[in-house]
Amino acid sequence: MINAYRHTSKWLVVAPIVVMLLFVVAPVLNIFSMAIQIDSFALLTTPTTRNVVWFTTWQAIISTIVVLFLAMPIAAITANFDFFGRRMLISLISVPFILPTVVVGVAFLELLPTSIHRSALAIIIAHIYFNFGLVVRIISTRWQQIHPHLEDAARTLGASRTRLFLTVTLPLLKKSLRSAGLLVFLMCFTSYGVVRILGGPARSTIETEIYFRAMQLGDVSGALVLSISQLVVVGVLILLTTQFGTTNSAEFRQTIYSRIRRPQNFGQKLFIASIALISTVAVLAPLVSVVRRSILVGERTNFFAWHIIFTDPEIFKSLTTSLKYAVFTIAVSTTIGLFSACAIIYGSTRYRFLNILTTLPVVVSAVTLGLGLIITFDVNPIDWRGAWLMMPIAHCLVAIPIVMRIISPTIRDLPNGLRDASQTLGATTWKMWRTIDLRIIQPALLTAAAVACAVSLGEFGASSFLVRRNNETLPLMISRLLSRPGETIQAQAYAIATLLIVACVAIIGVVDYFGTEKHR
Amino acid sequence: MNQKKLKHDFKNIFLCAALLGSLASACTNSSSTDNSSTNQADPTNSDQVTLTLLAYDSFTPSKNIFDAFTLETGVKVEIALGGDAGELVTKAALTAGNPQGDVLWGVDNTMLSRAIEAKIFSAYQTKNINDLDESARKLISNFEVAPVDTGDVCLNYDVKWFADREIAPPLTLRALTSANYANLLVVPSPITSSPGLAFMLATIAEFGEDGWSEYWQQLKQNGVLIVDGWNEAYYTEFSGSSGKGDRPIVVSYGSSPPAEMIYASPKPATAPTAVAALTCYRQVEFAGVLRGTKHQREAEMLVDYLTSIAFQQDLPLTLFVYPANTKAKLPAEFLKYSLRPELPLQIDPELIAKNRTTWLDTFTNKVLR
Repeated sequence: MINAYRHTSKWLVVAPIVVMLLFVVAPVLNIFSMAIQIDSFALLTTPTTRNVVWFTTWQAIISTIVVLFLAMPIAAITANFDFFGRRMLISLISVPFILPTVVVGVAFLELLPTSIHRSALAIIIAHIYFNFGLVVRIISTRWQQIHPHLEDAARTLGASRTRLFLTVTLPLLKKSLRSAGLLVFLMCFTSYGVVRILGGPARSTIETEIYFRAMQLGDVSGALVLSISQLVVVGVLILLTTQFGTTNSAEFRQTIYSRIRRPQNFGQKLFIASIALISTVAVLAPLVSVVRRSILVGERTNFFAWHIIFTDPEIFKSLTTSLKYAVFTIAVSTTIGLFSACAIIYGSTRYRFLNILTTLPVVVSAVTLGLGLIITFDVNPIDWRGAWLMMPIAHCLVAIPIVMRIISPTIRDLPNGLRDASQTLGATTWKMWRTIDLRIIQPALLTAAAVACAVSLGEFGASSFLVRRNNETLPLMISRLLSRPGETIQAQAYAIATLLIVACVAIIGVVDYFGTEKHR
Repeated sequence: MNQKKLKHDFKNIFLCAALLGSLASACTNSSSTDNSSTNQADPTNSDQVTLTLLAYDSFTPSKNIFDAFTLETGVKVEIALGGDAGELVTKAALTAGNPQGDVLWGVDNTMLSRAIEAKIFSAYQTKNINDLDESARKLISNFEVAPVDTGDVCLNYDVKWFADREIAPPLTLRALTSANYANLLVVPSPITSSPGLAFMLATIAEFGEDGWSEYWQQLKQNGVLIVDGWNEAYYTEFSGSSGKGDRPIVVSYGSSPPAEMIYASPKPATAPTAVAALTCYRQVEFAGVLRGTKHQREAEMLVDYLTSIAFQQDLPLTLFVYPANTKAKLPAEFLKYSLRPELPLQIDPELIAKNRTTWLDTFTNKVLR
């Protein structure tokens, strides 16, 4: 019985609550109480703010619509057909989602013609690139769960393919479409790195405007007002996503009916081949352009940059720093994420508030949180502002909500019958947990750890804010190298970006090979 | 049956977790030793003080420049980079009285009033004060900070581009609105870049508070390209530097031409870029002791060192600025190719402080969007 765990869940909630109160709630409240002034709210009615809010909203809407539209055909072929390289294709299109923003930013600067640099179009293209794998996975998973008999019945009753899709398949996919759409909207709405790199000075989202207000104008109060307005919008949306969000991480749920079949005629084969080809090229093109730049100095091929990044002590140091922080992030965020996921599910409704609490790091703008951290941890014994610890803690804060959402569904969907049986047979609570729950969530835990690793390796926004003397991570190094003149130095930045791409591909490989397919 | 395997799996997980844990704690141990922050005085070694010098990201003096200071005083210096100048001042203002370091390098005259209003600094009159540039000294009333360097933000142009086409390069700000120079100018945005801001202030100094936004409208109609930062403008879009940009006029520094000459290989016979002297806006940078430092005396010694001849002479070829110390010798190459306008454009720091936000808002709404 799940009730057996209820007692333990009381203890599990402690760690996540402490972490969130200490590192998110306290700093944010602190900065609000210190810096906010009532008359700054007038800022909300100025044309500048109106423009920013309008741009933030419409680019997010367009990105979302286009992503959903483009993801449909790929979701269709991966959910319905078995073909050579199917799993590889699913893995491949997932790579962009975990790529560091800096890497995607420079990749598109390299790939896109200069005429559309610094435009809304560039931002939207990058947003589509980022999110499209996620959407395919969500929709494809749901699609695979649609019982083929439903469609057969419709066909027998004389429905055309279009009619079948519109009246049977689409309504059944509606929930997952909505949840994927909200998620994408959220990502694009709070986008920072992509907008800074590709948008140019004329394009500002609320998130980048918060940064400009606080840093360039020194108007921290105004920045906080903007961040409150963002918090309200995003908060509402998050509540909606968690409500509809049951399918989010459902890729690990097994499908009950196999609707996947081999393509039957030439038309289907052609359709599959062309969709697969187009999406492969779309995913790979920006990545290839990064690799190309790393070995191209002037017009000639040259491996000098690669030689440097493996011998330069400074770059080696960043590499070890990045790895160190990734290990820390994996250890801490999977632990805390697991604790809170377990607490929420085992404690039934009592600890539902943890859901909201652990989402805070995503909802609160990075600048607000960063400034809060600086003014909060400034007294002994916790004057950690200069300590290296702040940055990996920030990585953990970003990773925890994601980890939680990966682990939760697996625990929730675990049939209680198994636990009942084990208890009847006399297992202790602890033994029951580790022989049943732990064993079943193992793949999800692995996935969570891998994603936490990717988050830490790629984190840029909070890191750039908390960087101190000796702890530059790889994405920060890329951005610093790119701002220096000289083609060989630029090539080094692209070489490091290539390393991060390889890491992300490896992570997805691990997740998809060991994480999803339970070796049964 | 399966029990044994389960146990085995669990042992593996446990081992992994233990390994991760020990790795994490290993990181803690190794870093806690070399990271004694200056705010927490190191109890084991009380006579060795390490100062933290907060500076903007592009602060790149010679690598061992502080060794002489350490040798002389026994005080070590660690540089902590804190983003661009704006980020630096915002963070210092929020932590005023309980600072993240001991000395701050890099407040410029466009942000000076903001920093002084926030009471970031504790006043100190450096012993080198009489050697420092007089006009720069005048900007500070109570020795809150000391001027450390000056520079000029000016239009630079690609000499060859104009020679090839037999067009006269632009010499004034007004000239930029003429059809001859349509689609030739690239500028960094004043919102995100400090030379960009200086250039906007130059236009305000030149055309007045009533005329400058009109002027920018005309620049816009004449096809000005506004980019995020100076790097992008100078190295990517400008045609006269290492990039392959196609715009021959750029907002940069009076000291950019010597940088092109000194770091080029092979060295060109004549300077590839030049400066339009009448378009320059004077930037002054300051350093000061942060109020609330635990090492007031050592921090003051560091400010003395930053304004001393030894340190100041390092600046021209590393930061490409003019030393504030008038006794510092300038390298011949630097003097030969750089341009020092006699009457640079300037705006009173008080006036800037009062209008900065309004001006930038105007710029955002009328020019950028």
